[in-house]
Amino acid sequence: MSVDAAFFADLFVHTVSMWWVIIPSIFLGLIVGAIPGFSAANTIIVLLPFTLVMDVEVGLIFMVALYCSSRMGAGIPAILVNIPGTAGAAATPLDGYPMARQGRGQQALAISFVSSTLGGLLTTVIALAAMPILARVGFYMHSVEMVVVMLFGISLIASIAARDTLKGLVAGVFGLMIGSIGADHVYATPRGTMGFLELYDGIPLIPALVGLFAISEAFLVIEGESILSEHGRDRVRTAGWAETFEGVRITLQRWWHVTWTSLIGLVIGVIPGAGAAIASFVAYQQSRAFSRTPELYGTGHPEGLIAPESANNGVTSGTLIPLLVIGIPGGATAAIMLVVLQYQGVNVGPRLFIEHPELGYGVFMAMFVTYLLMAFTILPLSRYMSRVTLVSTAYMSPIVIAFTLVGSFVPRDYLFDMYLAFAFGVLGYIARKTGYHVAAILIGVILGPLMEQYMLRALKMSDGDMMVLFSSNIGNVLWVLLVITIAAPSALQQRRARRAARTVFEEGEG
Amino acid sequence: MADQNKSEPPASPRQAGGELIIPVLAFGFAVYYLTTIWNSPWTAQVNAFLVGSILIACIAVFAVRIARDRLAGTIGFGFADLVAPKSILGKRLIFAGLTLGYIIVLEFVGFSLATFGFIYASILLLHGRRRWLVDAGASLLAAVAGYTLFIAAFGTRLPSGPIEALLKPFLP
Repeated sequence: MSVDAAFFADLFVHTVSMWWVIIPSIFLGLIVGAIPGFSAANTIIVLLPFTLVMDVEVGLIFMVALYCSSRMGAGIPAILVNIPGTAGAAATPLDGYPMARQGRGQQALAISFVSSTLGGLLTTVIALAAMPILARVGFYMHSVEMVVVMLFGISLIASIAARDTLKGLVAGVFGLMIGSIGADHVYATPRGTMGFLELYDGIPLIPALVGLFAISEAFLVIEGESILSEHGRDRVRTAGWAETFEGVRITLQRWWHVTWTSLIGLVIGVIPGAGAAIASFVAYQQSRAFSRTPELYGTGHPEGLIAPESANNGVTSGTLIPLLVIGIPGGATAAIMLVVLQYQGVNVGPRLFIEHPELGYGVFMAMFVTYLLMAFTILPLSRYMSRVTLVSTAYMSPIVIAFTLVGSFVPRDYLFDMYLAFAFGVLGYIARKTGYHVAAILIGVILGPLMEQYMLRALKMSDGDMMVLFSSNIGNVLWVLLVITIAAPSALQQRRARRAARTVFEEGEG
Repeated sequence: MADQNKSEPPASPRQAGGELIIPVLAFGFAVYYLTTIWNSPWTAQVNAFLVGSILIACIAVFAVRIARDRLAGTIGFGFADLVAPKSILGKRLIFAGLTLGYIIVLEFVGFSLATFGFIYASILLLHGRRRWLVDAGASLLAAVAGYTLFIAAFGTRLPSGPIEALLKPFLP
């Protein structure tokens, strides 16, 4: 079978004809993505008995569609009620939720959907074209390089706490310390577990996410009748389709922003174990660092929403590349896909594209078609979804708490995780009331254990010599880029201030 | 002008007592964490010493800033910011208590009953008893939706109670 334009055209038409699998999977994915704890991976595991008896092609399309749409679904509660459905959407509420509070929830959802769709489509096409090259990225990114990638994400702590850097650092480093709870990676020595066996595996992510965002927010918003201002309520009530089109226009106008932030997601997605959370934090941090208006980030700035949403959807195609090309799953969902493929007798690796090109390329085509269909099925719903913000806080807060606590229970089936979510909720409430950023704590909790894992690997290789962190060429280039990224915002700000002063002076002279 | 200044009440210092809670918690936790790794292999210590020392340094700088502001009289150590607005402090504390109670009761009465009870009690607390029947209906609807989604559809192993036992034969 020759792989040419006609092959891809046939594959496209054939995949579109599978809409009856894709569309229900999209809606299922949106639901499981929106509830913390119910990731695509969990759902595929629950539905594994059905997936295994399906035809291998139908099973793969179902899993891919569920995976892509759950990524998009996670952004919906993050925007509307400040609850990221997954860790990959943890950077979405930074600007999405302020937009919703201003009564621009519909616009924010449209921005999120369009940037997710464009990011997903673009990275799928690039993945198809550059698969052999991208598959090698994983070989070059060792623990030393990954330490620097983690630092890119961690440096976001200082950026989002721009109003009070010291408080931001205290919160972020406290998060890193909390993230270090658990047995150490080499000798399994328990550290900071307070005697709880449930913490030996480290701090579970979903209870931390639920507590810091959902529960603390629920305690906070009961101060008012609604999360919206009077003006915001009027805006949501009277909003027509124009708000959706405005969101689409804003995103299309920033096509370059979508492009480069989704590419960050694609490259990070290719690295096994990295994932959407790192990609979205790094994309947000980079977007802010090189923005002309960094001061607008965190206040409901569209670019602050586009960056994480494009990046976390860029991750989806990236994660599947190492699975299909070299047989190494890049994440939990990819690992489950590997199980299904092997059960069906399909061997992944370079030969997949020779022996079963319709399956190898078909996975990416399924992703492409899913994103296309999502644009038409989900975008019109933004108008109705945004009405959630009109619900009184007296109803919303208890329902949010009840359902998200269930979400914190689901990944491990421990009631302990619900108590943990409550404790994080109290911590989050105190943080919000006293001017500490909960996102800074969460970044620490998410990236802390990963950072430690990579750093330990690097130090083990060098017998504890810290200079190993500067021993690789790619790593050194990344160090330079990190320094530039950290220094750039203030340098750009000074340059703009000088230019503005010069303009005022010249106008005065004129 | 001088009269105008006289009539203005003196600006009260910002109450920063609440701002100290996170640094105090963080410091306490860092010290506790370091005690748990004191006799551990270096692989368990390296991250803790690195992160712990940065955290303690940040807290020290923060403490200096707070002390300086206190000496200048611009801050006080009250907790007004943390508990504001005082008018709903009682409601908020009861709501937090209901949340904790929900987790405790869940184990004994099962998901459906506990969820209905928690949501209904919380709505009555936050919304008043004006529309108690409608609110009961809304709470029932939420509990039924939760049961359908989490237990019937996704088969999660949430704690079971009488309702779950009653409906178990009807599940596929």
